[in-house]
Amino acid sequence: MHGVTKVFGAGEAAVIALDNVDFEARAGEVVVVMGPSGAGKTTFLTIAGALLRPTSGSVEIAGIDVSSLKERDLPPVRREKVGFIFQSFNLLESLSCLENVLIVMTADGATTRGVTNRAKELLDMLGLSHRLKLLPKHLSGGEKQRVAIGRALANNPDLILADEPTANLDSKRGREVMQFLRQIAFEMNKAVVIVSHDQRSREVAHRVQWLEDGVFRADVVTVRDPVCSRIVEVLGAPEATFADRSFHFCSDGCREAFEAGPETYADAVTN
Amino acid sequence: MLLIARRNLFSERIRLSIAIGGVALSVFLIMFLLSLYRGWSDKVGAFVEEVDVDIWIAREGTADFLSSASFLPTGGVDENFAVLPSIERWSPLVVRPMSAKKGETEMDVTLVGYDPDLGIGGPLRIEAGDPAPGPGEVIIDKVLTDRYGVQIGDMIRAAGKDWRVVGQASGGDFVAAQIIFVRLEEAQEALSMEGFATYFVLQMVPTADLDEFVTYFEGVQPGITAITREDFAEATRNRILDDVVPVLLAIVVLAFIVGLAVAGLTIYTATVEKLREYGILKAVGFKNTYLYRLVMEQSLVTGLLGFLAGMVLTLALSPVARDLVPQFVVLIRWQDIAVVGASTVLMSVIAGYVPVRRLATIDPTSVFRA
Repeated sequence: MHGVTKVFGAGEAAVIALDNVDFEARAGEVVVVMGPSGAGKTTFLTIAGALLRPTSGSVEIAGIDVSSLKERDLPPVRREKVGFIFQSFNLLESLSCLENVLIVMTADGATTRGVTNRAKELLDMLGLSHRLKLLPKHLSGGEKQRVAIGRALANNPDLILADEPTANLDSKRGREVMQFLRQIAFEMNKAVVIVSHDQRSREVAHRVQWLEDGVFRADVVTVRDPVCSRIVEVLGAPEATFADRSFHFCSDGCREAFEAGPETYADAVTN
Repeated sequence: MLLIARRNLFSERIRLSIAIGGVALSVFLIMFLLSLYRGWSDKVGAFVEEVDVDIWIAREGTADFLSSASFLPTGGVDENFAVLPSIERWSPLVVRPMSAKKGETEMDVTLVGYDPDLGIGGPLRIEAGDPAPGPGEVIIDKVLTDRYGVQIGDMIRAAGKDWRVVGQASGGDFVAAQIIFVRLEEAQEALSMEGFATYFVLQMVPTADLDEFVTYFEGVQPGITAITREDFAEATRNRILDDVVPVLLAIVVLAFIVGLAVAGLTIYTATVEKLREYGILKAVGFKNTYLYRLVMEQSLVTGLLGFLAGMVLTLALSPVARDLVPQFVVLIRWQDIAVVGASTVLMSVIAGYVPVRRLATIDPTSVFRA
């Protein structure tokens, strides 16, 4: 992304979601984008994935300047060059695991043996070889997200965009998914961009970028809210002290919850 | 068919059944009414169309076979016709719609008095019994046997006189009434029409120009009308069908609307329910045209299955309806099946159009919302 600005609305009602943003993710790299709610993370992700056009600036995916393409030319770019992983999995409920992966590879569902084998290999790699024929409703959250990862990888895209991929998973499954994303970047040489509030995503990231008020900030010190585990910027965050230690919170609500029983939360973080 | 379309369609069996049922009912109604129209059309014009008469001569103002208000003197006619070289044979015919009785059972019939020696204007096909009526005898249409149980040997009362049934004919069924044939002079006597006929029926020489004859004849015989067989058959058919067609047409339109509404609502509901999934497809790189195809395929397959179910219903229930209500004369033609098939396709396309419009407005970024 070069100088990307996105403005919603016009005149006095105009909201600047992204303000002259530059961003680059390279093959083999995991970049985690964090920031408070309303910082512009989803806007950033949808523009990066050629789902939304910037008001100004340019976006390049795998050497293709998507900001100059016509609307009708964007879907093939999304299908071939980008893999999406969503917070709520977004699988097609009427299709089996295998078909959810196959559908993006074949569009019309006319499968060849080669395509089917590749889809099976992907799901096997994700530990789902015994779940191929099951519908999503019969899968656990972690399994659904792994199918979604398989779908994102189906067309061997250059860029993987993940939106809060662990938000609906328990701690163990969340960690597993993060490890998968790291593995994808390393072993398959993909650029992986993760938008997340999850502290665990830091563990797999090459870079963590803080997005706030539509701009990436480099001078940000972040800590984890001991109550809700969100990553928060220290500057300006509600603060409390316990046992000679300072704690920062995403909201006054979390601070009050902490103050009601600090011993419950204090050991949960290391500031 | 696309995989997703197939899965979306068949995963909700109850909804699919309702949609197919709605279309099937609509197709059945349309097909049944069309077939009824064809059946009536075929029956009510058949006698005039098939009887071996080229020209019908009647009193001016007579439009069709069933109005039968014509009243023509028979005296001197032989001489008048004999000088016209294009006429090969002719015969007077007495026609009168009336009510006949077998015991206490009343039957609507059209009494036709004809000359059995000449045979012109007589029964089209003899199915059983004598080929021509003798004195005091009548040949009935076999529909009277089917509908009222009148058999050969029975006595029926018509025009104030008792007649013995001696034969059964076919081709004289006008749905609401059937022809019974008696001898000309007996019909004249029973109806107090001695010296008169309702029509003169003419057989022309093969080289005669019928239209030219009609023009000539009406020019030299004021107050008399000459009508070709085709025109007379069409006028007879229209007399009955003109009253019925608007009603049939209104029901056909209603049936189409009902089918469209059921199919449209179910397809629309199914589409709206899956709106998020269509958004996902859009987000991961499927074009709008693919989504339109998904919905249209579901709509068309629903329509096709409804059409097939409707046709099966029509074929299965038509004979039953005919047995229960003899007036249900159903004639299924492949041309009508094609028309109803095309209507079903139209119904499906319209039913799919509104959901397709809805798909066009899906914002793919909406799938990022949890």
